[in-house]
Amino acid sequence: MNTRYEQALNCQQPDRVPFLPAIYEHKAWFVGKTPSDVCRDPKLLTAALLAEYERVKPDALTIGVDIYNVEAEAVGCKVTYYDEGNNSVPSIGHEGAILQGSDDVTSLRLPDPRMDGRMPLFIEAAKAMVKILGKEIPLRGAVSGPFSLAAHLAGPQKLFLLTMMQPGIVKELLGFAAEVIKLYGNAFIEAGCGVVMFDSFASSDLLPPEMYRELVLPPTRGIVDHFHQKGARNIPLIIGGNTTSLLEAYLGTGANNILCDVKADPQEFLKRCSAMKKAFRRNLDSALFLESSPADIKNRAMRSLEESNSYPGYILGTGVLAYGTPLTHIAAVREAIDEYERAPAAGQ
Amino acid sequence: MKELQDLALYLEQGQAQKVIALTEQLLAASISPQRILNDGLIAGMAAVGEKMRNGDMYLPEVLQSAGAMQASLKILKPHLAREGAQSRGRVLMGTVKGDMHDIGKNLVGIMLQGAGFEIVDLGVNIPPEKFVEAIKTHQPSIVALSAMLTTTMLNMKSTIDSVRLAGLSSYVKIIIGGAPVNQGYADQIGADGYARDAVLAVDKVKQLLGISA
Ligand code: B12
Repeated sequence: MNTRYEQALNCQQPDRVPFLPAIYEHKAWFVGKTPSDVCRDPKLLTAALLAEYERVKPDALTIGVDIYNVEAEAVGCKVTYYDEGNNSVPSIGHEGAILQGSDDVTSLRLPDPRMDGRMPLFIEAAKAMVKILGKEIPLRGAVSGPFSLAAHLAGPQKLFLLTMMQPGIVKELLGFAAEVIKLYGNAFIEAGCGVVMFDSFASSDLLPPEMYRELVLPPTRGIVDHFHQKGARNIPLIIGGNTTSLLEAYLGTGANNILCDVKADPQEFLKRCSAMKKAFRRNLDSALFLESSPADIKNRAMRSLEESNSYPGYILGTGVLAYGTPLTHIAAVREAIDEYERAPAAGQ
Repeated sequence: MKELQDLALYLEQGQAQKVIALTEQLLAASISPQRILNDGLIAGMAAVGEKMRNGDMYLPEVLQSAGAMQASLKILKPHLAREGAQSRGRVLMGTVKGDMHDIGKNLVGIMLQGAGFEIVDLGVNIPPEKFVEAIKTHQPSIVALSAMLTTTMLNMKSTIDSVRLAGLSSYVKIIIGGAPVNQGYADQIGADGYARDAVLAVDKVKQLLGISA
């Protein structure tokens, strides 16, 4: 398979810019269910992924709904789910952390992806999807990044404080988190799909870039190397917020598809990524998709595409799309992409 | 006074031990707790807020300063009470229903506390009924609502509606914030105020309560 998305990751000019809208909880809407329903039932999850593929036609699919919870839950954190009809997104609050009042990382136990929490459920959906669409579209299992997993294990506020007061414990915790992520990622790879790693807790809006370099980069690089060895060639690493000042370390992780979120500087990304032949996904603001008309969305998408300077590693995406985002609003981005590519041809 | 400036500086640097020692030393030297609060803690936290806004201070450092502030406040509190010092006002806060983001809300709480307000934080995923109930129990002057999702920001409206329906809106002012909301949205849903960040939140709360400095 050498899809448009994979061509972009290899910085070979695809026939058009790949489109990767961030659809996680919104998947559930396609099958008329809530995120809490879909993230706990492999059949519903598979149906939702198929519906997403059919209706949105993205250039890759992500097997994940509440993307930051699965590993933490499998290690023992408590996830808040919502009752019937409530379309809120399940999440882990401060009370959900398992290292409360303790810094004893050795008390944590590695999960078994075949048994623990909802890991088996996501792997089952991944296997089903590989069977149905594995030859048509890249499939990526969502895994947490080490800092985000550590944030859930310790509680975010405590983890941020520990980075200053006891960096040794943070290193230990990140080491543990990395092992958990490797195990879960392996299971996706063995199921026949790829992985995509999310680590927005390590955003430069929250964590100073120097701390990322010192604490988070080494285990992240370790995870990326490990997945490479297991045969996954492409590893996207998604860190939201303004990561312009993080770019060097971000690229240093070895991931070959990084995120240029709404607040980050696309020109800097263009410069650095093209020098290293790495792909990046530029995000359109997810708020736009609820507030604006399709015509406005298309305009904004077109402006982003024009900034891309025809870089072959440029991918257009969105912030996390809210549950219930109208399809016509997502389709407006595709229209912009199609017209942007067609324009020069029409002029020939 | 040099010691009060030092206190503000240690606070800014997040040096909890030094902040605690100096607070005790100043109290022992019969400096009024109100003055320690105003010229030491509030001044120090104002500097923290400014640095955070300019991107010169990140979350770990801010949390460390916050911890130092809270330790000092704990020592000061009984003394302030004994002096009959009034807090500048009570702020009830929470992240609205369906939303678990609280880092931003907590920063707002820290800065308000650092500006001399009393904080009652309900936490995350708070339904409108719970806000209403808490307003009755805690009788705050300000209710601060946070939301980080375009879907949950709609629950700010239902919270404000519930407060109004319960007949409480003339007793409290409601201020909203969080990445997806703005002044236009605040006007639309009938909030009394909006602020973009934690420093501006303090200014807005003061303005709503008619506090000049
Ligand atoms: C950390 C984070 C999380 C953590 C939250 C941990 C926690 N305890 O808070 C976790 C992993 C749990 C999480 C989960 C989700 N998240 Co999230 N998250 C973020 C992230 C990376 C940072 C948010 C943050 O803390 N910023 C730092 C603080 C300091 O800034 P702030 O919150 O804006 O607060 C400031 C101001 O807004 C203001 N303010 C805030 N509150 C208030 C209140 C008042 C009264 C006032 C006056 C001012 C004010 O002052 C603050 C300080 O200056 C953002 C992306 C980003 N980089 O912004 C996404 C983001 C907010 N998340 C997003 C999403 C979609 C989700 C999930 C749905 C993802 C999923 N599918 O699982 C879930 C939802 C779970 C739920 N039910 O809530 C989207 C929201 C998109 C949208 N517009 O709707 C974002 C923008 C990511 C993106 N680019 O798409 N997330």
